[in-house]
Amino acid sequence: MPSVTFDHVYKRFGDTRVVEDFDLTVTDGELLVLVGGSGSGKSTILRMLAGLELVTSGTIRIDHRDVTALPSRERDVAMVFQDYALYPHMTVRENLSLGLRLRKVPRPEIDRRVEWAGSMLGLAPLLDRKPKQLSGGQRQRVAMGRAIVREPLVFLFDEPLSNLDAGLRAQMRIEIGALQRRLKTTTIYVTHDQVEAMTLGDRIVVLADGRIQQVGQPIELYRAPVNRFVAGFIGTPRMNFVEGHLGGDLGAATFIAEGARVKLTRAFPLAPESSAVVTLGVRPEDLRLSPADSSERPASSTLLGRVVLVERLGGTSHVHLDVGAHRLMASVSDSALPQVGDHVAVGVPSERVYLFAADGRALR
Amino acid sequence: MKALGRVALYLALTLAALTFIYPFLWMASTTLKPPFEVGTLTLVPDQMTLDNYRTMWARAPFGRALLNSALVATTITAAVLVFGSITAYAMARLRFRGRPALNAATMAVLLVPGQLTLIPLYTLIVQLGWIDTYAALIVPYLFNATAILMLRQFFLQIPQSLIDSARMDGMGELRILFTIFWPLSRPVLAIVAIFTFMGSWNEVLWPLLVVREQHLMTLPQLLTVFALGGGAGSIGVSLASAMVLVVPVVIAYAFLQRHFIESMAGSGIKG
Repeated sequence: MPSVTFDHVYKRFGDTRVVEDFDLTVTDGELLVLVGGSGSGKSTILRMLAGLELVTSGTIRIDHRDVTALPSRERDVAMVFQDYALYPHMTVRENLSLGLRLRKVPRPEIDRRVEWAGSMLGLAPLLDRKPKQLSGGQRQRVAMGRAIVREPLVFLFDEPLSNLDAGLRAQMRIEIGALQRRLKTTTIYVTHDQVEAMTLGDRIVVLADGRIQQVGQPIELYRAPVNRFVAGFIGTPRMNFVEGHLGGDLGAATFIAEGARVKLTRAFPLAPESSAVVTLGVRPEDLRLSPADSSERPASSTLLGRVVLVERLGGTSHVHLDVGAHRLMASVSDSALPQVGDHVAVGVPSERVYLFAADGRALR
Repeated sequence: MKALGRVALYLALTLAALTFIYPFLWMASTTLKPPFEVGTLTLVPDQMTLDNYRTMWARAPFGRALLNSALVATTITAAVLVFGSITAYAMARLRFRGRPALNAATMAVLLVPGQLTLIPLYTLIVQLGWIDTYAALIVPYLFNATAILMLRQFFLQIPQSLIDSARMDGMGELRILFTIFWPLSRPVLAIVAIFTFMGSWNEVLWPLLVVREQHLMTLPQLLTVFALGGGAGSIGVSLASAMVLVVPVVIAYAFLQRHFIESMAGSGIKG
């Protein structure tokens, strides 16, 4: 299986910088997820690799071969598009086989591959239908089938699940993961959905404004985000952020914000008496709520808050709290739900807090 | 009372329909009438005869003119569809320097009335030595700005991902145009085809200017020369030649009518 290398790739549309210094190697058989908001440049990177967009500067290699200037058809990559891009006037069989026919693959081999893909994806009874006679999930499978019959060096997925409803999306996500593990084809998957990224990716690349923010395994991004953007992007529900500054005695630094003080047990590379603005981050699932008058106090710092909204999801619910001037959210088990208006103690475990400098960089 | 109103409505509508269809039916039936019956308003001839057609065929080379017209109109229609869609595809879907200027220029061509270009075009044909050739009838009409703009507008609606997908499947641009865009653009292609064909088929002024040899004349041209020049001799014969002119267009319309309705009902592009 081949690797894919981006060597300092830049992309500009006129004066607009879309991708800045994208430098990355995707290893053999890896499933790499590019994740970011709209305008982060993730789809452009995929399109440059596919040969659908010119590279402004830099080099792209597939299997150590420089493909930067090659047209799409000579790159041996296959792509699954967000809107599936099936040819509406052709049957499923014709859609699946077209790429092979154009490459002059012998007829029996085409038939073999179409049957193989059809049976693997459960398309066998649909081969003679046209795309408009298929459901969304079936079209999605045909689009995947069209990519796998080509037996390409690299699979590209451009937000393939965003047109499906939530249930089908979860199911197709599992199928894509299983398919990739079975075929072991190097795959690059673009999504704006961090759940897809976390569940599918061997590694994840978080992008913002055309720049790589962080590359790593899903759990690495969750546990050790390098900046405030990644911390906010990875993890559902989103991390709570509170702006303030550091204070307190040497060796026992304290984060101080309006109406909130959190003791910090870890050392952070910032003088405790520094008046620089810092941001404290804590994930909703790490906050511990207890009744305000409870005598049992957790060992960590405790803030006082008032419940303003409870979103009941069954199992775990989201509790929105006002703590001083700040709005925080806590994920709480349904068995211990407070009511709106309740005053609660909010435990902040100091080993689970993150601190970010004014420029967004994580302080460790 | 309600039923009565309905009857009245249908009567009125039938009457209106008759006023449209009657002249055409009268023309058709009169071509089959002997000379003394031509003045009557009846639709069924007392004595049916094909004499008018025989006379017409004997007095002028209508068979040849029919072939000339068919050759000119089909060549022009095919060229407008092929060249028009190639141009429209480039204007709609390819990025190249000067594209906005090309769009504007094509649009500007629509604003120039045909009569204005008639004399310069005629001079050009004379300079090229093309008077009395098929080239004079065909070449000036190979490109059509209206067709290009109609096709371009339609091509703009086809999703970009289909083009991307086709490119990755290994298709070149011409192949994408003819194997992906054409099958999806049937309604607009049919409209362009029928308008181009009818326009070319009915054209009289231009052939009158550039063709004088009778064996090169198109049907409407020969008909005009024949009827206005007094060659017909009778109304029955004039109308018979008009029938020969109109029948192919009616047939073409009958074949392509489905696409007219399709195109009005909206396009079926969505996968």
